Amino acid sequence: MTCQECLSELATGSLRDLTPDSDVMRHCSSCTDCGPLATMLREREYNAATILNSLPPMSNPIAVAETAALVAKRRRVGKVVVFLTGAALVATIWISLFVTRIGRDMITGDRPNRALITETFTLSCLSPQQAGDIINPYVRSRGSTYYLSTSGLSAITVRGTPDELTKSRRLIRQFESDPQAACRHSPFEKVDEIQKRSGAPPEPNASPALAPSPDAAPPAKKQ
Amino acid sequence: MPTQPYISLSMRRRGFRRRQRNGAEDGAAVVYRDRSSWALDAQLASRASSGDDAAFTTLVTRFQPAVFRWALIFARDPDEAEDIAQEVFVRTHRQIGNYRSDGPLEAWLYKITRRAATQMRRTRKRRGRLALTPAARPLRDVYTTDPGGRVDRERAATVIRELFAELPQRQREIFDLVDLQGLSPGEVAERTGMKPVSVRANLFKARKSIRDGLLATHPAYGELSR
Repeated sequence: MTCQECLSELATGSLRDLTPDSDVMRHCSSCTDCGPLATMLREREYNAATILNSLPPMSNPIAVAETAALVAKRRRVGKVVVFLTGAALVATIWISLFVTRIGRDMITGDRPNRALITETFTLSCLSPQQAGDIINPYVRSRGSTYYLSTSGLSAITVRGTPDELTKSRRLIRQFESDPQAACRHSPFEKVDEIQKRSGAPPEPNASPALAPSPDAAPPAKKQ
Repeated sequence: MPTQPYISLSMRRRGFRRRQRNGAEDGAAVVYRDRSSWALDAQLASRASSGDDAAFTTLVTRFQPAVFRWALIFARDPDEAEDIAQEVFVRTHRQIGNYRSDGPLEAWLYKITRRAATQMRRTRKRRGRLALTPAARPLRDVYTTDPGGRVDRERAATVIRELFAELPQRQREIFDLVDLQGLSPGEVAERTGMKPVSVRANLFKARKSIRDGLLATHPAYGELSR
């Protein structure tokens, strides 16, 4: 056996298995270079094993057992407390999500509301602004809105849920078909009627009180 | 050069078996027990899990030296090994009901020791920036009354630092179990849950790393390694 082979065996082999009859030990016993190395290695590992294996724990086992029992009990209680606190926190978050509008918005997120329908109502009596004022309180769900014509058309386009559309349709029809609505009478008839009641002669150039014209104000869009 | 086998734990195990054959178990803390002592350990564990504090104290008394010895290899110094051992027994107290008596209690405890040491090391890393440096850590009270113990512990810390500081945890664990505690690679594989071939590979790497470091300190090594 060469010194290189001996070193290789010493570096990775089991020193415990090195018996005096082994090749390595026979080489070491005759080689002045490898012999001290093998001795040094065995001594270092022997000393390490002795030091570590003979080192007793300092702690008193009874104190260790008592501490362990105490800490284990605390941890059990702590685990329950943490679990209950966590459950309460989760419940609070979920309740707040469902109860508050912000929470509902967070839940629905930016998902498009597929239940929204768009419909345009033709107006014969009301102006788009008036129709918008009427339906405004009822078109409130997320994504719902109404659009006023910008080109002077007497119409209003409503985007909303089926319920909102039904409500809007009913309200607009109700106001459109009202026999007392200003648009049902000529302004001159109205002036005559007022003058008859007051007993004053009719003034030829008197201007009647008119309902707001569709062209009177620029259409606004509700966001 | 010592002519006797230097694996003191292995010797202890053989001595224990010899004592057992002679029917003279002394009841002292024994690191490795064979199958015949499982029943006693299982009985202790069963009583401890049912709330018997005396049984748990007995169990701690029996296994504390072994757990401390195992923890030494995972720790930086004996003080940290004491902390790991304490944590092991806290976990043992909580989980003793999970112990199934179909295996040795010490193997179960060894697994707890590994897990506890690993977790404590991670925690130590997380809190490393806030912790005191090792030099600034206060000495334990016991050192003021036991100077000899302090010397022994400093020697152990030196050994740990010189041999194991640079090794990965798995390699230091396997080197310790095989070369310092005298277990066979098969026993180590069974205890650690690794494949025997992985144990041998890690053992090879650990020995090479440790012994290269030791050999490099010898003046003759420079000549031979050329």
